[in-house]
Amino acid sequence: MANLSAGAIEALANGSGWNEAVLQLVNIRRLDGGNGPARFRVMMSDGRHTLSSFMLSTQLNYMAEENILVPNCVCLLKRQVTNMLKDGRRVVIILEIQVLKPAEEVGGKIGDPTPYSDGQSKGQQPAPAPAPAPVPETRQPLQQQNRNEVNRNLNRDFMKKVPSALPDTPGGGSKVVPIASLNPYQSKWTIRARVTNKSSIRTWSNARGEGKLFSMEMVDESGEIRVTGFNQEVDKFFSLIEVGKVYYVSRGSLKIANKQYTSVKNDYEMTLNGESTVIPCEDSCDVPMVQCDFVSIGDLENREKDAIVDVIGVCRSVDEVTKLTTKSNREVSKRTLSLMDMSGKLVNVTLWGEEAEKFDGSGQPIVAIKGAKLSDYGGRSLSASFSSTMMINPDIPEAYKLRGWFDKEGHALEGQSLTEVRGGSGNYMENWKTLADVKSEHLGHGDKADYYSCIATIVFLRKENCLYQACPSQDCNKKVIDQQNGMFRCEKCDKEFPNFKYRLILSANIADYGDNQWVTCFQESAEAILGQNAAYLGQLKDSNESAFDEIFQHANFNTFVFRNRVKLETYNDESRIKATVMDVKPVDHREYSKRLIMNIRKLGAK
Amino acid sequence: MAGILDVPKPRINCSMLSRFINRAVCFVGRVEKVHPSGKMFTVVDGESKTATVELNEPLEEELSGVVEVIGMVSNKGDIMASTYNTLREDRGVPFDLELYNEALKVIHDFPQHYPFQVAASG
Repeated sequence: MANLSAGAIEALANGSGWNEAVLQLVNIRRLDGGNGPARFRVMMSDGRHTLSSFMLSTQLNYMAEENILVPNCVCLLKRQVTNMLKDGRRVVIILEIQVLKPAEEVGGKIGDPTPYSDGQSKGQQPAPAPAPAPVPETRQPLQQQNRNEVNRNLNRDFMKKVPSALPDTPGGGSKVVPIASLNPYQSKWTIRARVTNKSSIRTWSNARGEGKLFSMEMVDESGEIRVTGFNQEVDKFFSLIEVGKVYYVSRGSLKIANKQYTSVKNDYEMTLNGESTVIPCEDSCDVPMVQCDFVSIGDLENREKDAIVDVIGVCRSVDEVTKLTTKSNREVSKRTLSLMDMSGKLVNVTLWGEEAEKFDGSGQPIVAIKGAKLSDYGGRSLSASFSSTMMINPDIPEAYKLRGWFDKEGHALEGQSLTEVRGGSGNYMENWKTLADVKSEHLGHGDKADYYSCIATIVFLRKENCLYQACPSQDCNKKVIDQQNGMFRCEKCDKEFPNFKYRLILSANIADYGDNQWVTCFQESAEAILGQNAAYLGQLKDSNESAFDEIFQHANFNTFVFRNRVKLETYNDESRIKATVMDVKPVDHREYSKRLIMNIRKLGAK
Repeated sequence: MAGILDVPKPRINCSMLSRFINRAVCFVGRVEKVHPSGKMFTVVDGESKTATVELNEPLEEELSGVVEVIGMVSNKGDIMASTYNTLREDRGVPFDLELYNEALKVIHDFPQHYPFQVAASG
């Protein structure tokens, strides 16, 4: 039998508070008032007293609607806010609650609680009937109005003087309210919260006119909210607001959040209006920085595509900024970086626009991204959209922990990336193997092809059949059939041409200190190995065989970085590993030496 | 002295000089200051420590960049050069002295795997 927190009701009702009270739900009642979502009023018991002035915050409405919260169930009250009404009574807003024991297991009312009568209410309120009878005069909309009355009399300076007064301070009047308790039915409130993200000013222009807007995200210890300002409010507030600073915000309009555009965990969002005030707060150390719920990079594989996640990792490598043109013909900058965390896994993160341009990955900083979108592009990768917040070396415990780990052991780890390298473009190199490793680890034997990088030397090039006659059309590389009448036919294009282009398909044997491997090189990689283009080679083959041979002699015993793809393929019941070269690059001896030294140190430490 | 080219010349950095007194060594560093006499110059290693190189004959050329010096370590810890060679850096790949220093340390930390070196204790 669950033990109820005897005495908790009294503590909650008189404002002294109680952490993690275990209470029995006696009754729950829906209050439909005005527009917007319904509110639920709850009567709770601690076995000694009952109190009917609990309200469920609207975010938790589902718990009532889905019959999770039903009479007799035993609950753990995890987070709540006590608001005081004009007449001195208190309403406890439930922000977070957990059912410990469902009603059917409890079986009935625990103990013989009596309605708690508030000493401070000076007997105005008749003792409410114990069981399912709610107190008649405390309808929620009314309470809100009462509260508004109280607040209207407070001027802003007064609020400023007592910034850290908690909402449930007895007698002080409720000034600063937690973000989690905001709803559209209160118009007078102040929140004290930190700006964690601020957009640039965006403009729009459509049939109804044009305008501009900006948005920001604010957090306090209770939750977070998105705040948007339009036109005049852009002029008024945009320059005032700095990311990372704390502000008092009051009298914004609240409306149901459009979840499509934001990852902010709040059912409402705020719009600044002519009445709104935004005042910087100096005494801000107790307001949390950013609320992140970091997902381990290793766990990203188990998440759904398009999930919005928070990640933190060490920036192991950064690509250069590239520009690309969107469908709407806008040019955007893009930059990819690779993050690693204590799971030892790496993931690629793409930054866009200004963040891509400004990003400085030197010194392997800790990068935290709130609200990155998970994509299944190339395995698993992340994209930081305009609603994401990126923090470099943030001042949070996770960052220090990660930095400590990385400096001590993480830097020596090569790490395994969740993001596959795309063939050809590879300035991104992971999964280094020796040719012996490739065989002993049976790479390519799985369902999917495996990719690896190696440093190897050309020991043999098969000159025979390395060139073929291909369709001369721009993007068609299909082999043509010589019609023996001066015309060449492409089956794919279903056309005959008077000419063809030479393309390379080169078989090479490459070796490192431990093993060797036959690989197939197509056009670009074959040209890189031979140091000549296919057209010239084709010309030489037809005209000057000794010069052609010399090119092959010359290409022998050169060492390259190979990016290879291996896959087990079956022809006529015979299975063999097919290795294809995706990319060939000259050896960067500096990088190579660094890696060798790192590997030696790793072996030495064992 | 004549036989310096025939004996092993361990690669060392400044901090190892004192362990190699009166022995032939190979030292790679960046030229810092050339003495006006032309018979002496200082070199900086990958740990930013400085050593002095003494020559038998005055320099006949402007010396700069990274040099590889072969010589004996004097009692003072200076390098009495028998020969030197400048490493060309004009091919666009700068010589990474810090990385060289890391490799040096590997050689000295694992002498069993680098038998072409005579162990420092020898």
